[in-house]
Amino acid sequence: MVTKEEFNSQSLHYVRTVGMTTMRGRGFYFPVDSAMSKNGRIYVLSRSIERVAPDSLRITMLNEEGEYFGVFGRAGENDGEFRWPCGIALDDKDRVYVTDEHLHRVSIFSSEGEFINKWGTFGTENGLLNAPSGITVAPDGNLLISDSQNHRVQKFTQNGEFIYSIGAEGDGEGEFNLPWGIATNSSSEIYVADWGNDRIQKFSPDGKFIEQYGSTGRGDGQFVRPSGITINSDGYMYVADWGNERIQILNPHGEFIQKLRGEATDSEWAKDFLNVNVEEAEARSRANMEPEFDFFNDDPHEESSHIEKLFWGPVSLLLDKEERLFITETNRHRIQVYKRN
Amino acid sequence: MSSNEMQQLAHLMRRAGFGATRRELEQYAAIGYEASVEKLIDTTNPTAISEYLIRRYHPDESSLLGGLSGADAWLYRMVTTDTPLLEKMALFWHGIFATGYPKVLNAKPLSDQIRMFKRYAMGDLKTLLVQMAKDPAMIIWLDNQQNHKGAINENFGRELLELFSMGTGNYTEDDVKECARAFTGWTIGNCEYMEVRSARDSDWPYGRISWHYEFDDTDHDDGEKEFLGQKGNFNGEDIIDIICEQEATARFISRHMYHFFVADEPPVPQWPYQAPRDPEAIDQLVKVYFDSKYDIREMMRFLFNSNFFKSEKCWYEKIKSPAELVTGVMRLTEAVNMPRYDTFSKQLRMQYMGQTLSNPPSVEGWDGGTAWIDTGALVERMNFAAEELGNVTTPGSQDLLERVLAENSTEVTPERVIDICLDHVGALSIHKDTRSKLIEYANENGGVKVNGNELSESAQQIISGIVKLIASTPEFQKA
Repeated sequence: MVTKEEFNSQSLHYVRTVGMTTMRGRGFYFPVDSAMSKNGRIYVLSRSIERVAPDSLRITMLNEEGEYFGVFGRAGENDGEFRWPCGIALDDKDRVYVTDEHLHRVSIFSSEGEFINKWGTFGTENGLLNAPSGITVAPDGNLLISDSQNHRVQKFTQNGEFIYSIGAEGDGEGEFNLPWGIATNSSSEIYVADWGNDRIQKFSPDGKFIEQYGSTGRGDGQFVRPSGITINSDGYMYVADWGNERIQILNPHGEFIQKLRGEATDSEWAKDFLNVNVEEAEARSRANMEPEFDFFNDDPHEESSHIEKLFWGPVSLLLDKEERLFITETNRHRIQVYKRN
Repeated sequence: MSSNEMQQLAHLMRRAGFGATRRELEQYAAIGYEASVEKLIDTTNPTAISEYLIRRYHPDESSLLGGLSGADAWLYRMVTTDTPLLEKMALFWHGIFATGYPKVLNAKPLSDQIRMFKRYAMGDLKTLLVQMAKDPAMIIWLDNQQNHKGAINENFGRELLELFSMGTGNYTEDDVKECARAFTGWTIGNCEYMEVRSARDSDWPYGRISWHYEFDDTDHDDGEKEFLGQKGNFNGEDIIDIICEQEATARFISRHMYHFFVADEPPVPQWPYQAPRDPEAIDQLVKVYFDSKYDIREMMRFLFNSNFFKSEKCWYEKIKSPAELVTGVMRLTEAVNMPRYDTFSKQLRMQYMGQTLSNPPSVEGWDGGTAWIDTGALVERMNFAAEELGNVTTPGSQDLLERVLAENSTEVTPERVIDICLDHVGALSIHKDTRSKLIEYANENGGVKVNGNELSESAQQIISGIVKLIASTPEFQKA
């Protein structure tokens, strides 16, 4: 049973929104993941789409206040390029690791965006990859990767040497269906957003199944295609409940604490845009941005498409040292920031 | 089932669907023609590739920010659906209530419109027309947000009568004006802001915002109107009631159905001056329209079971639209079970053939028929079909090779290989001269030899070559 004290100490409140839609430079275009360096620089991975300018696919560097530090990466298949980038993580030296679901590889950059290396080969044997999606750096410095279309998690050294594999296709304990987001806690235990099975699974540091949380649905503690997860210092789970267009907080036993639906406001970059596009800003100021409907048919995706402040495509979660939660939204091309009470 | 009955089923599947694999045809053959029609028109529980899967791998299919976004997701659904008639009906209504991106400049309402077509495609025409009139993309497409009490904009009212229900010559200019008056106040929410965004093609600051219908009663003219000889304080729904009662509407919709599902008619603007190809068929459809209270499903049931539809005279009489051709080819490859990076390139091929979904050339939609064929488009059509079907690595091609191997012979005759290939692409029947040329091709290339349980590399290439040639035949390019 979740106590009032537990709720009060663990629930989150909205702080601000960061970013906006742009196809190039300062901004994001279909961001799918974010990571943060030790000095607070945020790296936002924009997946972009197949049919537009190659440089719309990029990694944008900024800080929480909206200070912009540039971009790197682009669409293509050469070194430092991507087709379907999906996950981003930084190691203890702030080197940047990016997975690519189409090229089945991991690319490595310096903290300033210089290409260092790439590894990964398509296949099903141990150490090979089929659509690597979520990535995190484990406390021991090695990489944990959701090898999504092989329906497993694999652990690699930073140079891509295979360490171990967890799971296979299925819906039983320790099995996966297109796993996506992945995280570890301070005890090196592993949490995986088991996307197609609508649950979170927890494993020991050596890959043994421990527990699973959630079931399919829209109720509290249930999930629809969870895509991202992170764990706070007290062991509480923050889950990007992607198909329900919300964030859920669960306690270490998997009990529901809070759900967030989104409260976005104009970011600094959005304000800059609206300040110089007066006609649009004035029309926006007169619009009812929270219209009420009765036709959503319990479809949060549809609701989010109409109401801009709500999460739309909340795909991944980033927790900083101060336990602020950064929620990357693919469809709204922004990050909403929340903080613990 | 006789060969002729199988051919008739194949004809049904080309028209009510996108063709069929041999395996699908055998499943339909097992239940017979009439039961197959019943199965096809039961569109209540369609399944296709998961929307979540599409959205995961193609985020633009989730937010529909780009101009052609929804068309990719539609292609996935057409290729993977188990209810192909529902997708064909969506194409059918999209061709009549043609709404396009260049003016709407927001792909989400366009995609919502297609979804609306599917929801109401097989119900009664009146409900569909009301939903179409309330559709936000249609409202912007035909300027009904500018249709005000005391200052009407006739655009939607005129097209409702001319292109969507009755056809020219069946109403007066006064009817158009009175019709427009009845639809004043039918607008979209946050109209000013959404119009500004569309005018600037703005997706700032946070991507597109969906549109919703709104009735502004302060802007609605509820005064008395006289429309098609009837008087009253009509609103839009009353107008649609009256429209649906008209024989002209029944004839117009019936002719569209005949044109789309049976045999090509001339372009719509010529209809007032040129009699239908089969007036008796139109009469029969008109009767079903009124007997069933404008029920589209009943009309489709009648049409697919009718002699005029089943007649061999209309087999291969329609030229496949690019959407039908691309979808049909991709279904035959059986290669789409997960979202793929190259899906957009298939969509582009459809455009090169002359059709961009959710982007018709005008409010009159696509002419269809021989207008689909020019030298560039024909080459594109043949190349696409040949490339896809000639790829021996796809599951569909592997199934074909298995069928050849199942002949249990060290050398399969060219005649037999060609029969198997024709069967594989949906029980296709081709002209005897074309068949002779295919036999010639197989003989010239050394025949199909089997080594133990394997087809040699050269045998696979010959089979691939035969399928490529079949994909280029007039019969394959037609439905």
